[in-house]
Amino acid sequence: MSSLNGAPVDTHAPGHADSTHITREGFQITTRKLPILKAGPIEDMTKKLGIAPPEMIFGDNFARIEHAPSGWRVDFNAFDALDRVDKTGDSMLKVSYSKEWQQNRQKQFEDIKEVVKPFDWSYSTDYKGTTVDSPAFEPTRTPIPLELLKRPDPIQFFDDVMLYEDELADNGIAMLSCKLRVMPARLLLLSRFFLRLDDVLIRIRDTRVYVEFATGEVIREYTAREEKYEVVRKKLAGSREDTLALMRDPNRLAEHIPVVEKSLEKVVLK
Amino acid sequence: MSIGGSDLDRAITQLRACRPIPENQVRELCHKARELLIEEGNVVGVDAPVTICGDIHGQFHDLMELFRVGGDVPDTNYLFMGDFVDRGFYSLESFLLLLCLKVRYPDRITLIRGNHESRQITTVYGFYDECLRKYGSANVWRHCCEVFDYLALGALVTGAATTLEPSEGPIAENINIDNLPDSDAEIEIETLNANGEIMYRYARNSDSQSTSAASQANSNPASSSPIAPTPSRTGAAGTGATSSANGSNKNDTGAILCVHGGLSPLIDSIDKIRLLDRKQEVPHEGAMCDLLWSDPDEIEGWGLSPRGAGFLFGADIVKCFNHKNDLSLIARAHQLVMEGFKEMFDSTIVTVWSAPNYCYRCGNVAAILELGEDGSNAGFVRRSNGERGGGGGGWVLGSNVGPEGNPTAENRRLSSVLGDSMQRARDGPGRRYRVFEAAPQDSRGMPAKKPAADYFL
Repeated sequence: MSSLNGAPVDTHAPGHADSTHITREGFQITTRKLPILKAGPIEDMTKKLGIAPPEMIFGDNFARIEHAPSGWRVDFNAFDALDRVDKTGDSMLKVSYSKEWQQNRQKQFEDIKEVVKPFDWSYSTDYKGTTVDSPAFEPTRTPIPLELLKRPDPIQFFDDVMLYEDELADNGIAMLSCKLRVMPARLLLLSRFFLRLDDVLIRIRDTRVYVEFATGEVIREYTAREEKYEVVRKKLAGSREDTLALMRDPNRLAEHIPVVEKSLEKVVLK
Repeated sequence: MSIGGSDLDRAITQLRACRPIPENQVRELCHKARELLIEEGNVVGVDAPVTICGDIHGQFHDLMELFRVGGDVPDTNYLFMGDFVDRGFYSLESFLLLLCLKVRYPDRITLIRGNHESRQITTVYGFYDECLRKYGSANVWRHCCEVFDYLALGALVTGAATTLEPSEGPIAENINIDNLPDSDAEIEIETLNANGEIMYRYARNSDSQSTSAASQANSNPASSSPIAPTPSRTGAAGTGATSSANGSNKNDTGAILCVHGGLSPLIDSIDKIRLLDRKQEVPHEGAMCDLLWSDPDEIEGWGLSPRGAGFLFGADIVKCFNHKNDLSLIARAHQLVMEGFKEMFDSTIVTVWSAPNYCYRCGNVAAILELGEDGSNAGFVRRSNGERGGGGGGWVLGSNVGPEGNPTAENRRLSSVLGDSMQRARDGPGRRYRVFEAAPQDSRGMPAKKPAADYFL
């Protein structure tokens, strides 16, 4: 099908490849990276979701771990993640200068009150991946064995898949991405939602999936961190590094932000 | 030292090679630019033909690709709708080159302000850091910010033709020639790829529309209107040509307002834009802020953005504004659109986006919008030979009666202001979109980005 206004449909950006995969002991790991969605698919998605998708929506991208012998799988994709975003506007955030803006506005335009299609425009999601009903994850106390992951085992497969990103009209950033590394005996997947709403707050919600190939053990850990922007900024102000640069790097930020929610689950695949 | 004449040409050569110019030259350039820009009104008058461009965001190599596709300055008359800086790796080179061209060819390039041309935004989104990295101090950033404060807020294009002279370019692959309008049809819209090959063509007069738009409209059999290259009324992509203004003079198109973001509830006439005091940092609220920040949306009237700041405006607002100000079209930028351009509200407003593969990862195409010159052959002869296009007409309007003295002016008034038909008052200008992709990776002197494996935890 030709695209709507004659623009080429399959404009693969340089560096974007179609899906790649690797198989280890019954586990198949697949990632797919394509350009952002075009107007038609975005409209479809808007209708299905009931909210406007983020500005950069990589709706064709995914990261997937499948275990054919047991029929188990976990999938990370933008649609399912966005489907968990609050669509009512009940948990809506406000940009930093909103109060000032509103006060000035109310005097002049009392008739313009209606907030258009309220929803959580920060696209905050507690997405932990899309998985099957059975075999299902059960709560556990077994943590992800960090020591095993710190070993410099060769990385046989690595990918970093963007699922969505929004610039929040230049008020910060919201982004959901998925990193994956496969070593000879195990793999780690990290799906991270990162929100920096300038002068308001910082949110990091991580889902880690750990697979030990030999035992078929899969551990899923969800960690939500959240703190006010100003509190984090003050914490970092003491360091010698550029505070603003630190504030843009979720890897560096995470340790400075308290955990507000955590869960641990496990499933053993046979 | 002074930067003028040959110095300026040297600076242009150096910047075209993506090499920054020395700090003292930047200072001089910015000084010259301010002197020039201070003379411009808040709304710059621009004569068609003109090529209208959207966000660039420091994607220098893609800006070079834009010039390759659209023709070079001064052969092509350009209008850039802001957001030259931030996000991309070469904000400095991109902005300084545009500024050099502005100083060198002031009548051939118009720059208006985007929301990123601001101190506050550039400290967060890259331009400040880039200046610091490339010069070791913030001086260059400061010089540039002073120029930002002098950039116009909008532009008003007059003298645009309602119909395009069809391009002579070959038909792009996979395009069925039978779906293109007859050769004698009046072309309202044409989309060309980066090689100048015709991808899409749309005729204005209604009897040829059924066939002309067939390749696109057929996908939308439910629509009774010939508008319809877009599959639904939300009109997410591309063109939304209208057959409404039947009977109006062929060369009778209103002016085209170009602004980075959109309209403001404080602004109901272009004269009100002219009255603003623009020489300041972009404020957080008020008319100037709205012009640089607001977005059209599928709503009625005005709405508040769910973010708690910023306005959204619907089709009725645009149609009213265009009618009141005798506009046929508003061209704006500000929002990423995957197809490079997006017409909305019966083609009364268009978003033009000129940063392909935005942020080096979105994979979107970019577009520029060419408006032809009224009274000549639409002015878009390919300029590869260096000759100015537009035939002998040059800058003087042809024999056609200008917009002011047109005897049919009364006919253009809507009898009932935006009644049920909500038709546009005027034929829109003929619009040629050139769509292009990101410059090849090897031209930017950096390796294709492959994620580096790391031992993340």
